[in-house]
Amino acid sequence: MLALLVVLMAVGGGCKSKKKAAEAEAAAEKARMEQEASALRKQQEEDRKKREAEEEAAKRAAAEANKKGPQAKLEEYFNNISNSSNEASANSSINEALSLFASSDTPVLIVIHESGGQKDYDKPTTIRNYLYYLKDQKKQADKIGNLQFDNSGKITEVELVKQN
Amino acid sequence: MLNYKFLSALSFGLCVVSLLMAQNADISPARKQAIDSLALEKVRDLSKYISIIGNKKTPFSEATRVMDRAEELFAPDSEMGVSSLNRKEINYYKVRKYFERLMALNYDKVTISWYDIHYISDLERQPDGRYVGVVTIYQRFEGTSDDGLKYKDTTKKDITIYVEKKKTQIQGRTIEFWDVMLGDIRVSETSA
Repeated sequence: MLALLVVLMAVGGGCKSKKKAAEAEAAAEKARMEQEASALRKQQEEDRKKREAEEEAAKRAAAEANKKGPQAKLEEYFNNISNSSNEASANSSINEALSLFASSDTPVLIVIHESGGQKDYDKPTTIRNYLYYLKDQKKQADKIGNLQFDNSGKITEVELVKQN
Repeated sequence: MLNYKFLSALSFGLCVVSLLMAQNADISPARKQAIDSLALEKVRDLSKYISIIGNKKTPFSEATRVMDRAEELFAPDSEMGVSSLNRKEINYYKVRKYFERLMALNYDKVTISWYDIHYISDLERQPDGRYVGVVTIYQRFEGTSDDGLKYKDTTKKDITIYVEKKKTQIQGRTIEFWDVMLGDIRVSETSA
């Protein structure tokens, strides 16, 4: 009888220690899971920040390219028109170039001299007339000094600088 | 008496010098050079337009468009002198009329080139604020007909240049610019 009691106590003690061990294991598991969840959240937060930064950089790059793109395109059109060997090709380049502008009457200012921040201009013209001028005169275009754009990315003003 | 004459002459000389200095006081040499170059460029532009208008291969619509652009280079009512080795007198036409006659010349091939373009009278400021100068050019003309008839001459022409500072509004801003206008083109020599 005594022996049975001892065995029962031993078994009971064993169960308790198993339960404690299980509880400890569950707690450890919970802590691990919380840690993992926290790490995941941290990772997700970092990913989100990284993605936002990349998107912002892409937006900035797109805006920059949007500004720089038309200038490079315009320079190319200027060259094509000036060096065009036939009228059809020159007219085609003129029409394509005009698509970069808010209007064919977009003003073109040509700086002939600058000193101390004061600019001297030639008589202002329009982009349409300037492009035909390049076609007729077959001369190298003046250097692009500044372009202004509207909200849709169309050029609304051109400033050229005469090269002496 | 001698001192009086000397002082008078000195005063007159100083007045002339101050007047000349005042006339160009607002223009630095670099700025003046830029304006001189701009005016010469307008003359070269006209040279190209004339060769396009005269070229028999230029389509009528293109020649008309170029005439409009060429006409814009001139002050209103400017005239162009036309000479010939076959007559003594020089005829003057309004520039538009000259361009139209040039386009209608009775040759099958026309080549016109201008060379030796230079100032013979520097741009000088006038009392009205405008700058006036004279540029000389030499024009080589050759007209050929399919039947072999050929006419050629070289003409020396003097072009009056007017430069005036003007203002205009561009997108709400006031822009000051130099307006270069060509005036009468007078024939001074004609040779074979």
